[in-house]
Amino acid sequence: SINFDKNIWVNFVQNFKVHFFDFEMAGRRVECLWKRHVVEQLKQRDRVQRQAFEEIIHQYNRLLERSDLQAVFSERLQTDKYEQQNRHDLSPGVDGGRCDSLQQEMAQMRIKHQEELTELHKKRGELAQSVIELNNQIQHKDKEIQSNEAKMLEYQQQISHLEGECRELRNSLADLERANQTLKDEYDALQITFNALEEKLRKTTDDNQELVTRWMAEKAQEANKLNAENEKDSRRRQAKLQKELADAAKEPLPIEPDDDIEVLSEDAGKGTGETSPSRQPSRTPSKRTSQPLPPAGLLDSITNIFGRRRSVNSFGTSPETAEAPSMCTEVRVPSTALHIFDAHDGEVNAVRFSPGSRLLATGGMDRRVKLWEVISGHCEPKGALTGSNAGITSIEFDSAGSYLLAASNDFASRIWTVDDFRLRHTLTGHSGKVLSARFLLDNARIVSGSYDRTLKLWDLRSKVCMKTVFAGSSCNDIVCTEQCVMSGHFDKKVRFWDIRSESIVRELELLGRVTSLDLNQDRSELLACSRDDLVKIIDLRSNAVRQTFSAQGFKCGSDFTRVTFSPDGSYVAAGSADGVLYIWNVLTGKLDKTLDKGHSSAINSVSWSPSGAYVASVEKGSKAVLWSDM
Amino acid sequence: MADDKDVLRDVWFGRIPACFTLSPEEITEREAEPYYLLLPRVSYLTLVTDKVKKHFLKVMKTEDVEEIWFEYEGSPLKWHYPTGVLFDLHASNTALPWNITVHFKNFPEHELLHCASNSVIEAHFMSCIKEADALKHKSQVINDMQKKDHKQLWMGLQNDKFDQFWAMNRKLMEYPTEEGGFRYIPFRIYQTMSERPFIQKLFRPVSPEGNPLTLGDLLKELFPAAICVEDEPKRYQVIIHGIEPLLETPIQWLSEHLSHPDNFLHISVIPAPSD
Repeated sequence: SINFDKNIWVNFVQNFKVHFFDFEMAGRRVECLWKRHVVEQLKQRDRVQRQAFEEIIHQYNRLLERSDLQAVFSERLQTDKYEQQNRHDLSPGVDGGRCDSLQQEMAQMRIKHQEELTELHKKRGELAQSVIELNNQIQHKDKEIQSNEAKMLEYQQQISHLEGECRELRNSLADLERANQTLKDEYDALQITFNALEEKLRKTTDDNQELVTRWMAEKAQEANKLNAENEKDSRRRQAKLQKELADAAKEPLPIEPDDDIEVLSEDAGKGTGETSPSRQPSRTPSKRTSQPLPPAGLLDSITNIFGRRRSVNSFGTSPETAEAPSMCTEVRVPSTALHIFDAHDGEVNAVRFSPGSRLLATGGMDRRVKLWEVISGHCEPKGALTGSNAGITSIEFDSAGSYLLAASNDFASRIWTVDDFRLRHTLTGHSGKVLSARFLLDNARIVSGSYDRTLKLWDLRSKVCMKTVFAGSSCNDIVCTEQCVMSGHFDKKVRFWDIRSESIVRELELLGRVTSLDLNQDRSELLACSRDDLVKIIDLRSNAVRQTFSAQGFKCGSDFTRVTFSPDGSYVAAGSADGVLYIWNVLTGKLDKTLDKGHSSAINSVSWSPSGAYVASVEKGSKAVLWSDM
Repeated sequence: MADDKDVLRDVWFGRIPACFTLSPEEITEREAEPYYLLLPRVSYLTLVTDKVKKHFLKVMKTEDVEEIWFEYEGSPLKWHYPTGVLFDLHASNTALPWNITVHFKNFPEHELLHCASNSVIEAHFMSCIKEADALKHKSQVINDMQKKDHKQLWMGLQNDKFDQFWAMNRKLMEYPTEEGGFRYIPFRIYQTMSERPFIQKLFRPVSPEGNPLTLGDLLKELFPAAICVEDEPKRYQVIIHGIEPLLETPIQWLSEHLSHPDNFLHISVIPAPSD
């Protein structure tokens, strides 16, 4: 139906200026007209075209159907009848019974047809039943289809949801890969930079090495020049000396009573290991030519301090109460403790006999070096050397016995004059504890080894550090020969340094931290003690370990346990952590003595008197023991 | 409106009495009786003549049977036109029943389409519906329907189910109220004597000013000869579904109510009877 839009009508009205009300009615009337016309026409048509014929056609078709059916039946009957007639024709004799048999046969046929009819009805019923069942199945299937479609929709939703998630995961994966790639690139860039820097470092190190070797070569040249000059100088001096001596020998000399040098020359005549060259002009200079003469400046200053003592024989170093270096008469293996006494307040680290064997010096953690006089088996206190700010680690007398050098934990080494106990020099410069300090054989230079892993060479004339070498490891002990400085280190190595070239000539590795070094009388053998509780003798000519001493109870008490040769090099003495003094025989290699009645704590250091008569040892527990064989 | 529903029912259930006689050219075993049938106006010949075929096959030998085709007074009847259109065009003012001759051989290849099975008819029917909706709604309504809905339209027609058919078809008869009608009216004007099979042009149901257009407006534009002037005798009859609607009838209403199931308004223009 059409909804008459009032707007359209208003338009219409305005256009035609007709009364609105009338036209509306007219419009309705018009609408009714044509619709009614259509409705009526349709009804009319149906009356004419359909209703008139409907019933007739229907009945006609029914009749047609029936007649077809009849035709079919009659056809069948005819054929049957025909069969029947044939049969009857074949048996002509039974005439009378023909009618009966015919009737019978007809009846039979009727029955047969009835049966067929019932069968067909049954079949029809069955078909109707199957139709119903199939309809049910169809409905059932339709329901299934619906539920499946619903499921499919659900699955599709799930799929799109999972696809979304998958996309997100892929995106985040791409992001992570990008970040990873960035990191990898950065790493590569850093690697390249690193390689470049490594290369640079290598080059610089090479350059450095080259420069160092060039510098060393130059230094060697300088040293050679210096040596040549010195040689010349010494030869000149020797010549002068010879001439003077010759002159002097011709003159009778006045003998001054307090001229100790006479004594010196007497003693010197007996000969020890350590004499200054100028005192024995009769000695073949060839023994000593390799040794440089002490610089003149030092001699002058010393003689100035103590008054002039011009004497041929005093050309060498000889202050007033210089002690005569005692010669080694006979080495006696000690067997008893002669004197046990308290040496210091606290740990005693170092002990040393003076070259004359009359004095004993001990150094301890109480910062003092005490001097003792050894008189008939007793140690009488003589004096104390003060000045150190921390514990004493090592003590050495110079070859004349006039100076005492002590290294200290306060990073400095000090030199006192023995006679008046006055501090003469303080050598500072190390940045760690000085563990060992030695005079070089010319007594004019000192070498010190420190915890700061360096060795320093000091010149006593100028009182400055001439050289510092970096050893690489804390230096526990040092010994010197004419050309060589040997240092034992924390890193188990013994380093051999050439004094002139200031470079390592050799390195020897032991099995434990090196705690102590000592040389024998002719400086052909090196004694080394190491923390693996083994004491070894190293042949300096072949640079091989010749002998190893050990004992069952012998244990190194500390990193600074000092061991010593006997003056003739035939025995080795070492103190153990259990306070027992062990003495081995070098020739046999066997343990000779164990002296346990003396110390009550670990023995730190041992010293054998140059006379061979006494052995002194000091312990952690402040005691010192003097041993001998009487 | 109650009237409109009646119109729809009357249109759907319209019937034409037909009498089918076998062509004398056909070779028969015995004489065949004519077959009478009430043909539905809105269906297609080949869809409703199974019984006819069966009836006549009874008297024929199978080797003589080819495709069945129908003819009226010498002109082969195009099965793809709705039966009602064929009747209105060819035999509108003749005596009832409509005598149709049945042929089984000499199929006129140049004049008729082959109809091998019902699926051919279904395809033709659905294509007409789609074409109509393209004109009415730019194919939006028909495309929104699912396949089962299309099937329902066809099954409704095939099994003569008014309610089943119109449950779907009413969607195709809707239009947005602001438009006032369909976009274009799907219609075809048939003539007996013409080279072209039918006239089909774009025609809007509402004028640019917004007035609803009528059947008269349509004819004025496309077949002016059909409209008769006051004093002159009527030269043409304009027949839809066997009736002549008034020229004032709105074309939109006609399209909604007097269309065939294929959604087209089939209009037959025949020469007016001379008596």
